[in-house]
Amino acid sequence: MKNTLRQLFHSGKFVAGFVIFVAILLTVFIYPLVNPGDPLEMIGVGTFARPGTYVSLYDAVRTDTQTLRLSEADDNRIAKALSAEDRVAMVEWFTTMGIDVSDLDIDDTDALLDLWNANYDPSIKPQGMTMAKRNYYKRLNNSLQEIRAADEIILAEPDEESGALVKSDTISKTDYVNVSQVANVKNLPLGTDNFGRDVLKELVSAAGTSIVIGLIAGTVATLIGLSLGLLSGYLGGFADDFIMFVTNVFTVIPSFVLLILISYSIGQEQRGAAVVAVVIGLTSWTWTCRSVRSQVISLRNRDHVNLSKLSGHSMIRIVLTDILPYIASYVVMAFILQVSTGILSEAQLSLLGLGPKTTETATLGLMMNWAMLYSAHTNGSWWAYFPVILTITLISFSLNLMNTGMDQVFNPTLRD
Amino acid sequence: MKKILALLLAAMMVVGIFAGCSGSDKPAETKAAAAPAETEAPAVTEAPAAPAESGAVELPRNETLYFAGQQWGTVNSWSPIGTNQNNSMAIAGNSGGYRTLMFETLYMYNFMDGSLVPLLADGDYAWSDDMTQLTLTIKDAAKWSDGTPVTAADVVRTFDIGVQVGNNTGTGFGAYISSIEADGQKVTINAALNDEGAPVNPLKVLDFLTGTPIAQAAWIDTVVDRCGGDTVAILNDAGDDVVWSGPYTKYYSDDQKVVLIRDDNYWGQDASMWGSLPVPKYIAHTIYADNAAGETALKAGEVDVCQQFIGNIQNLWEKDGLPISTYYEEAPYGVCLTMPTAWYNMNIPVLAENPALRKAIAMAVDYDSIIANAMTNQSPSFSDVPRSLMNPTDGEQALYDHAAVADLQWAGNDIEGAKAMLDAAGIVDSDGDGWRDWNGEKISLNAVCPNGWSDWQAAMEIVAAAGEKIGVEITTLYPEWSIYQTVFTSPSQTEYAIFMWSPDAASPSNPWQRVNQMMGKVYVGAENNWSGNWGQYVNDEADALINQIPLTTDSAELKDLYTKLTEIYLTEVPSFSLMYRPSLFHAVNESVWTNFPSGDDGRNIPPADCTDGYGIAALYELELVG
Repeated sequence: MKNTLRQLFHSGKFVAGFVIFVAILLTVFIYPLVNPGDPLEMIGVGTFARPGTYVSLYDAVRTDTQTLRLSEADDNRIAKALSAEDRVAMVEWFTTMGIDVSDLDIDDTDALLDLWNANYDPSIKPQGMTMAKRNYYKRLNNSLQEIRAADEIILAEPDEESGALVKSDTISKTDYVNVSQVANVKNLPLGTDNFGRDVLKELVSAAGTSIVIGLIAGTVATLIGLSLGLLSGYLGGFADDFIMFVTNVFTVIPSFVLLILISYSIGQEQRGAAVVAVVIGLTSWTWTCRSVRSQVISLRNRDHVNLSKLSGHSMIRIVLTDILPYIASYVVMAFILQVSTGILSEAQLSLLGLGPKTTETATLGLMMNWAMLYSAHTNGSWWAYFPVILTITLISFSLNLMNTGMDQVFNPTLRD
Repeated sequence: MKKILALLLAAMMVVGIFAGCSGSDKPAETKAAAAPAETEAPAVTEAPAAPAESGAVELPRNETLYFAGQQWGTVNSWSPIGTNQNNSMAIAGNSGGYRTLMFETLYMYNFMDGSLVPLLADGDYAWSDDMTQLTLTIKDAAKWSDGTPVTAADVVRTFDIGVQVGNNTGTGFGAYISSIEADGQKVTINAALNDEGAPVNPLKVLDFLTGTPIAQAAWIDTVVDRCGGDTVAILNDAGDDVVWSGPYTKYYSDDQKVVLIRDDNYWGQDASMWGSLPVPKYIAHTIYADNAAGETALKAGEVDVCQQFIGNIQNLWEKDGLPISTYYEEAPYGVCLTMPTAWYNMNIPVLAENPALRKAIAMAVDYDSIIANAMTNQSPSFSDVPRSLMNPTDGEQALYDHAAVADLQWAGNDIEGAKAMLDAAGIVDSDGDGWRDWNGEKISLNAVCPNGWSDWQAAMEIVAAAGEKIGVEITTLYPEWSIYQTVFTSPSQTEYAIFMWSPDAASPSNPWQRVNQMMGKVYVGAENNWSGNWGQYVNDEADALINQIPLTTDSAELKDLYTKLTEIYLTEVPSFSLMYRPSLFHAVNESVWTNFPSGDDGRNIPPADCTDGYGIAALYELELVG
């Protein structure tokens, strides 16, 4: 056993897979300790907040300020409100309105703004200009007014008696606050999803759920496949024919179609994560069964097995002590593959809307399902689905690496 | 030997591939060559009804207005007197007004100001003093496509055949109109009377004026003859030889698209109506697989007018810089006329017997999240427009006393208030499993809407999350549409506890019609119920008030009635609205066409997809870009 393990950890592929898998597992266990709370809590009102750090504006204006005179501050402000395309569009407006722009330097912000303020009127509808374009100029005008706004923003509060606004504070362009002093700062490394849930938190929880689903599905499939394969291979005769008949029936029907039909007929109300896992397990045992059977057939006429038979050992004992240990490594490898298949099957099922209940658990497939329903892939909200795909890929990649690594160690034909 | 065989096989495959390529090239070429000839043909011969024959309809882009979000399958009928048609471009009754591209109504409804604009009718209608008779005249200029004039007899025949065969006109208005009489161009509509001799519902008579497409009497006779008078055959007639009065007619239709072509002989170019023809020569609707496909086409400029919900639509112009706009520049971008509503199923005892439970769930739901998530803020919030039986338009909001019901309203996400209400009603967790019980059993409800209706699904998830927070188990369920529609329209169903459907949006009979749908007894127990009160809620007091409204003309009295009804609704909570929503979405891409109606242009054309009710006026004012 010790020797086997040592051999395993000499295999680069196995170690790589193992390290990735353990890293994911550790994240699943440790991250909730660092960032506790319900992963399904809808913190954001609105869909798909961008990844980044969110600073409470309410708290920020009440935090002690530091005056910083940064030379590039004004340029940054202007660049944010007025892009190069906006400048060209402004000149287009002047041309449409028949204003002479031959002397205008497009990079001279002040001159451009003066001319704009003197000539722009939102109520004018130039001939042939589309509504979309007119609306664009209105928005541009609004952001230009912010550039030209006074140097200070005035904060005012209503007077308790008269209700009139009384100036309470001002914010100037050179006021800065230190983020660490603001009472509420929320870091959302992966933004929020369509429900306004923290994607990273949800992703970690979903990875955990998916691994559990994979383990349950893998265990169920391996147990069924292994027991039927052992029986069929060892007993032979009618039992073999019968079990193989059932297995063949299951093999002929594409297992994913079977999975869809069973999940659909169970109904959403009964579909918890565990139920989905068991259903996946129940539909994916056939190949384990077939391969175990063929291994057992090659083992059952070996001398040590015959010796056991002659010694009058029971069938169960022979199977467990004389046959199972010889195929154990193979079964473990099959189990790992089944886990990987289980995780992928859950993702596929959930993507079709046949996964577990959304309000109860987060799974990788459900996250992709909702991202797709809300067209995250067409509206550029990559954070809602790309990290999920990456996680699924990493999990199954690590499992498959471990499997290949084990194969090289255990399979005599592949051994160096 | 094997090698030779393999080589042979490979050679055959290569040849096969080349053959396949050249084979598929040829038809494509002929298609392209044939197309222009076909499209030009109708223009030269001025025979708009001649449909194109082959599958390749290439329409000149600058003469075609493309739509999305209306037609989802191959058109099955062109008969305005049939039933179960899916012909959304030609035969579509919407609560914002009938689609009058091909068949016309007497009046066009404008939901922006509630006005009825004469179409086939000439000038205003007139009620008799006791509102038992409504009279109007048909425009002299109005003509059918075969050149014969539209007469009052056509209106009579349209109504009579409707009652006889039981199509939408018959079932919708048969109970409210006893008969229609014709005298030359003059139409007299006799309202059905109740036992006291008062009209049953004058509001529904007005709905007839804006909601019923008039068909030609002679053509109806043809159909009846052809079908030997068999009701089912008449209802299912394909109507390929139909006579129409509108500005467009069928040009081409298959499983890929449906195209209407302008009838250049349209009577409406007479000075007594529009004074001109509508601008686009073709109206085309590609049949898209789903919303995403339609949205992609809109972004690409392949669609001009899109009647689809598009989440975060402002990104299309703010971020992507596309020439797309909506009726209003700012949220909610459109005119919300209805409110998708979650109905409580009163066949389920725990819901029927516990108004406190109904109200508690409704109070716990986070509506701001629903509106931000499901509607991406294309709806006013419930703190801006407090919940009532009214849609958010100013006209309807003025119909009830806001102050009188302010204490009964709730803005949502009130978990503590909801818990307190359940505790007070004795609905508590008696066995310590974390879920509240009633009569010793755990309350377990489902929240249901059709699968794939993503904004409603998100709303149901938020309802389920609210249930979890107050200790009431609510699980979501998304059956396929075909299953959903048979279950929720069945009066005795107990499968769905909380389920979604929208009440009526706008028509002359609203908000009365909507109030009736929310609490009217008339719909309770009706089989195959598409009309209203899907939760089977019975309240005799509310029903009596509802029945008074159609006959009330005094505005103060009307306001009093609506306020009382709102009070009952907010106390009893037979259903709760989740958001406000337009009945039609209206996003336009100005790559080809421009001068679409907008909220600030002073033209008073509603955002009704350029086709419905008075919204069709937009087609007469479109311009090409540049």
